[in-house]
Amino acid sequence: MTRSDAALKLRGGAEYGIDLEAPGMVHAVLVPAPVAAGALRSVDLAAARRAPGVVAAIGPADLAALLPHGGDPDRPVFPSTRILYRNQPVAAVAAETLAEARAAARLVRVDVEATPPLVDIEDRYPDWPTGLASDAPGVVAHVHARHGNLDAAFASAEFVHREVYRTSGIEHVALEPHACLAEVRDGHWRVRTTTQTPFGAREDAAEILGIPAESLEVEGTWVGGGFGSKGAAFLEPYALVLAAASGRPVRLAFGYRDEFFQGRSTLPAVIRLETSVRDGTITGRRVRLLLDTGSSLPGRDFATGYAIGFLLGPYRIPAFEVEGYAIQTNKPPFGPHRAPFAPQCVFAIDSHTDGLARRLGVDPVEFRLRHVWQAGDRTAFGQEVGPFGAIAGLERARTTVAEWRRTLPPGTGIGVGVGFWSTSTGAGGEVRLRLTPAELVIEQAEHEIGSGSIVRGLVAVAERLFGLPTERLRVVTTSTARDPYDSGVFGSRTVAALGRAIEAAGTAMLARLAERAKAKGTATLTVQDGKLAVGIGARSIPLSELLSAEELRDGLVVEGRHYGRSGAIDPSRVVEGSFYAYTDFTAAVHVAAVTVDRETGSVKVLRYAAFQDVGTTIDAGMFRGQVEGGVVMGLGSALTEETLWDPDGRMRNPGLLDYRIPTIAEVPEIEAVAIEGFPGAGPFGMKGLGEPPIIPVPAAVANAVADATGARVLELPLTPERVARALMVD
Amino acid sequence: MTSEVALTVNGAAPRRLAVPDSERLLDTLRWRLGLKGTKEGCRTGDCGACTVLVDGETTLSCLTLTHEVQDRAVTTVEGIAEDPEGRRVLAAFAAEDALQCGYCTPGFVVSLTGIRKELGASAPDSAVIEALQGNLCRCTGYLAIVRAVARIGNGNP
Amino acid sequence: MTFSLARPSTIVEALRLLADDTEGPTAPLAGGTDLLLDLDDGRSTARRLVSLDKLPWKTLAWDGPRLNVGATLPLARLGSDATVRARLPGLSEGVDAVGSLALRHRATLGGNLGRAAPASDLLPILLAVDATVRLVGTAGRRELPVARFLRGSRQVDLAKDELIESVSIPEARLSTYVWQRVRPANDVSQVGVAVARSGSSASWRLALGGVLPVPTRIPEAEVHLTEERPRPEDVELAANAAATHARFVTDKRASEAYRRRLVATLVRRAVARAQIPPGER
Repeated sequence: MTRSDAALKLRGGAEYGIDLEAPGMVHAVLVPAPVAAGALRSVDLAAARRAPGVVAAIGPADLAALLPHGGDPDRPVFPSTRILYRNQPVAAVAAETLAEARAAARLVRVDVEATPPLVDIEDRYPDWPTGLASDAPGVVAHVHARHGNLDAAFASAEFVHREVYRTSGIEHVALEPHACLAEVRDGHWRVRTTTQTPFGAREDAAEILGIPAESLEVEGTWVGGGFGSKGAAFLEPYALVLAAASGRPVRLAFGYRDEFFQGRSTLPAVIRLETSVRDGTITGRRVRLLLDTGSSLPGRDFATGYAIGFLLGPYRIPAFEVEGYAIQTNKPPFGPHRAPFAPQCVFAIDSHTDGLARRLGVDPVEFRLRHVWQAGDRTAFGQEVGPFGAIAGLERARTTVAEWRRTLPPGTGIGVGVGFWSTSTGAGGEVRLRLTPAELVIEQAEHEIGSGSIVRGLVAVAERLFGLPTERLRVVTTSTARDPYDSGVFGSRTVAALGRAIEAAGTAMLARLAERAKAKGTATLTVQDGKLAVGIGARSIPLSELLSAEELRDGLVVEGRHYGRSGAIDPSRVVEGSFYAYTDFTAAVHVAAVTVDRETGSVKVLRYAAFQDVGTTIDAGMFRGQVEGGVVMGLGSALTEETLWDPDGRMRNPGLLDYRIPTIAEVPEIEAVAIEGFPGAGPFGMKGLGEPPIIPVPAAVANAVADATGARVLELPLTPERVARALMVD
Repeated sequence: MTSEVALTVNGAAPRRLAVPDSERLLDTLRWRLGLKGTKEGCRTGDCGACTVLVDGETTLSCLTLTHEVQDRAVTTVEGIAEDPEGRRVLAAFAAEDALQCGYCTPGFVVSLTGIRKELGASAPDSAVIEALQGNLCRCTGYLAIVRAVARIGNGNP
Repeated sequence: MTFSLARPSTIVEALRLLADDTEGPTAPLAGGTDLLLDLDDGRSTARRLVSLDKLPWKTLAWDGPRLNVGATLPLARLGSDATVRARLPGLSEGVDAVGSLALRHRATLGGNLGRAAPASDLLPILLAVDATVRLVGTAGRRELPVARFLRGSRQVDLAKDELIESVSIPEARLSTYVWQRVRPANDVSQVGVAVARSGSSASWRLALGGVLPVPTRIPEAEVHLTEERPRPEDVELAANAAATHARFVTDKRASEAYRRRLVATLVRRAVARAQIPPGER
């Protein structure tokens, strides 16, 4: 099945945010803070305003005049008192050409009384915060939960397995940089942008600017890769406020280095795990998490409790205590990155589990089978586990491990990783179906970000729902001014949630058609003499008999919505903070085979197998694309990707030479297998697939390295140097 | 300083344009000639999204001064279908769904076309893939692209 | 930063332009894969570039036992030459290690020498085969060994009105270049090791990349490698000497300790590999 966007994209015809232009357009540049921390004394724009070509130069002092309600005091467009990270935008300049805008930006004098930045969370907390978390400096969020008698579990344990894991900061590296084009005219604010969430960007930008959401229109473009980087408003408020100041269409595009400097991705963490064992079974666990949240602004600090959940699953643990601390540092803000923080937690927990099994002399797959969740179990937070394909996946993995042990050369390390996820179908969405004799159009808000969820996934769901051929179905997206509301392309929810909305709209539409036909039976859509018709029982009724003249021209319009429910956790287990309840339970069981160069520490991945709990496969091509893409992205986090920082808060590797994503030369053969039969909340029982395939990858690779060498690497990524060091210690 | 340069792009007659001396071919193609299929990625020569052919050879347009391609034939993704090898690459990418977000795709299509021309039709797939390592893709995990390379190698695009 | 560009057709004109700084600092432009990035980042202050593109230096020719490579020959053409790979395998391997194919279509040997980067993948093998650089200037031509031409990190023995015209490289069938990186493809080498045995030399020469201030030969290691097939214990002595005598630092790509450890490993591997015929490596 060829993707419907292939022809356009292959010929270079797809328009992305960076390609936008408009008559009279000017170019914008953001002025970066020169230090990572300090008190902002002044921003002097006088010289920039006089520079050639400049049409607007704005700083903190100019916002009040441009924003009728002053904007969100907690999230000012520009900071007015404190600098929180190096390169934080403190002003913006728009000029006739990009070169003029850049030259003018260099003339802005930013006066900061610099203070020593906090860059490494372990500089502040070489050990753990003690006493009251609310008094601990730099702690911006604290979560704490417990259940069962952990002291008794530890006291009666045969041993307690104790380890400290460290994970690195990683970046999205969507190849398309952020870019948008904004215009403000007669109180109508409009921005064309590359976004995973047109409505989310609208709400967010409107809130930041302090304008009513209805007065802002967001129109998306093709998205050149998202991975969480193009969710909330980012460049849009800057471009909009410059457009308001200049009266001109303003183009604002990041250079690639800005993508690194502005972050909004995963930052480092320290994870301490203590697990008690008796009679070959886990009896209790104590977890501590120190999470670097960068300069996260109020309302945007990442849910530490959400992250911590991954450290308590997907295994049965009778007694536990967890405590997590989010530490503010002078780095760019933390933000969502494909399955936010799950690969890092699963690296820690499944390395730990693997090591525990080896210490017990039990086969690691058998040990996992002994503990892994199945439907009816309770999570650590008391939520009942729904249909979950982990056991089925582990059984397939056991067969693969045995086969590879026979067929791959001696010295090959084989490791398993078990990840879990929950599709965010709780986040709601709506669609509008438009039926004409020629086609059924699905009108909805999201733009294709690459996965195929829009151009293929929604169409595949509609094909199955209505029994119509692909060429009779079309997905249309315009802007937030016309499209039905949707919460965004994130949380692996797009096809699952919008698919359910299509299902709801379709059911209503067919009921209405049956009613109009005055028939008792169920209506279906069919193709009759080259036109869409309604089938009821053995009858086929042309649409011309059921639709008004106006409807025949403009289509019969029926809207459908899906606002799913989330699960609930047992509040008695929570001491402080909030923890995440899952919507549905999605397993990913992966097997990696590696060779390790014992002298240099280089790891080569030879083979890879991914068993994915999908509920139902909606489209085989999309399935393969998401699994292969997710696994390879995960291999980057496992082996080569990490952000590096100087003590002064300067990023040391802001580019694609030293921030190393996988190339085509390192990719192994990947076997992608769908595990079906454990239904989720999507249409036909499908579960989301955008994020799960990345989750167990670092764990599977690390466990394979441990299998090959006997050495356990406790820090991501497993660069040759780290592996070599672990081998020297052992 | 700005001076005139004659550009031959996608087989059209040479076009004379006034272009600043320091301008990169990437920007001239995108903003003066409106050929936005050539994508701006890293601008440091590390991602391959801006790859074009200059006299048939794969070239990073972000690291090429426009004036340096005076009197040379430039081919962008918009002109790649004029080339039989380009058509084979387009067909194979479509057949294998060797794209997702599409942002790196023009670079891959142009790069693979140039590599096939440079290495010859009998080059083993492994050599072709090695030569593609300057083109980064974050969505597909590359395997669909590897399958597209194999499809062309089998003479069945 | 903006700059002006001159594209002279003759060597005389190119040298005259280089000597003339009235338009601001002037620099020669070969492939530009390094210089243009420096200009973008403000590391280079050049305001006029003199393109060498039209000069007749995109040449590749054997002169008996020596290979002459024109300064502006694109590396891709050097890398695809079967005779070079047979007679100077270490040079071909160095070329293979540079960037991507598209980058090698622009990058040049002359540019690589002139830029003298500490992590260059080409300088170690040029040092190990004892290549010489041929320079042309307003004062005439001169030729000097690469080892003398390299003066420090990004510093070379090249006058303002002087250009690299070509590089003269002695045949060395026993030669190789090996490297270690975080990511195998398209990365900067943490350490590179070139070894070669060629021409009149009585012993192997060994040079390192990824060291400070520039790639350099390690005579303390070479003294152990006199035999055509060095004995394992001599290789071990050479490996240890290289690890001891190289000047390493810790940077974002590797720690000093890891680099020392790598050097010893890579020296062992290079000596073994150099003895394998190029087609079988």
